[in-house]
Amino acid sequence: MWRAEVDGLRLRFHLAGINDQNFLMRDEETGSYWQQITGAAIAGPLAGRQLTLVASDELTFATWKAEQPRGTVLREIAADTSLYAKKDWDVRMAKAPTVLGYPESGLAPRELMIGLHGFGAARAFRYDALLNAKLIEDHLGPEPILLVLGQDGHSVRVFHRRIPGIPATPDFYRVLPGQSATPGALLMDSATGSEWNFQGCAVSGKSAGACLERVESIKDYWFDWRHFNPATTVYRAKGN
Amino acid sequence: MKTATPGRHFLFYVIPCLFLSFFLFLYPPYVIRPFRAQGARELVVALAITRYRTPFMAALAAIALWVLVLYWRRERRWLRRLAAAAASLVIAAIAVASRVNIYELMFHPLGPPTFQAAAESKLDGDEMVIAVRIGQVARAYPIRNISYYHVVNDLVDGVPIAATY
Repeated sequence: MWRAEVDGLRLRFHLAGINDQNFLMRDEETGSYWQQITGAAIAGPLAGRQLTLVASDELTFATWKAEQPRGTVLREIAADTSLYAKKDWDVRMAKAPTVLGYPESGLAPRELMIGLHGFGAARAFRYDALLNAKLIEDHLGPEPILLVLGQDGHSVRVFHRRIPGIPATPDFYRVLPGQSATPGALLMDSATGSEWNFQGCAVSGKSAGACLERVESIKDYWFDWRHFNPATTVYRAKGN
Repeated sequence: MKTATPGRHFLFYVIPCLFLSFFLFLYPPYVIRPFRAQGARELVVALAITRYRTPFMAALAAIALWVLVLYWRRERRWLRRLAAAAASLVIAAIAVASRVNIYELMFHPLGPPTFQAAAESKLDGDEMVIAVRIGQVARAYPIRNISYYHVVNDLVDGVPIAATY
């Protein structure tokens, strides 16, 4: 999700083409072309400019609604509902052909990845690996990070693995169902023994009220992530 | 001294116009088409053509229609007149068609988005949404919907955003 503004000029985008199976947007104000996944203008008067990322989440509706009960949802357009993706769209997309592939990686082109940028690095994690592990501790460049699967078994969030006021890098553990009486408790840290929810905030213990800083992530197909992030590294679980 | 026939004059102008019109019309969709890897240079050329072709194609259409008028006055044979008219009209039609965004024909762009309260939504709980919160405003964009439009231009708490998928 991008901030649709450059130098105070609001930009309105529309679909304008495709580049290596990632779509291009054209802004109505200057006619510049923008790559969707990178937010970079690749042609036109604003070529070379970069949109700013807006913090966003990819969540299940149930999880989002529980967190944002006063939030609003994009309304369907009645005339277009038959054109919307079917419920099994992700299964269908997984079978769609690709023109790019990186077989040396050992990953299928349409393997779903969680991609991260920052600290001079790009790193990708197999979504399936996170579904299995439910929690992954790793580094993005030198920065210790934490990938967490929500209680719904689909939603993902990524955090800096640093607790405000605690110099040591903590380890986090999954709170097993029935192990805690604290509502929303999902994780426990090794440094303070506090319990943390899926929003990255401590809900009990010494750190109660503190929140971990978020790391922006994107769920993307491997071929797309790898193509637009050629220097990316890939997380491999120990033993793999 | 021999002078060029009306037909030769017409063809001298119309054939290059026809060739150029087809090239300007077909090259961008040839390069920018799904399930094809785009080269960096050809993509830049295709986008530049898309961006600047309209006045050129309008000029080509104007030339083709002008030489048609001249040819029509001098040529008396109806079959030839009609063939010339067809060629010129094809050039004009290509110029008009080049204004159409094929991708927007396939995926209708979403106009100003409208929203409903989370409590009123009939979305299933396991449907995936792209969620954003800016200030006190929280929005959810269901992926099944926005993957059709690909882009939602929105204003969230006064901040212009493009939700994309």
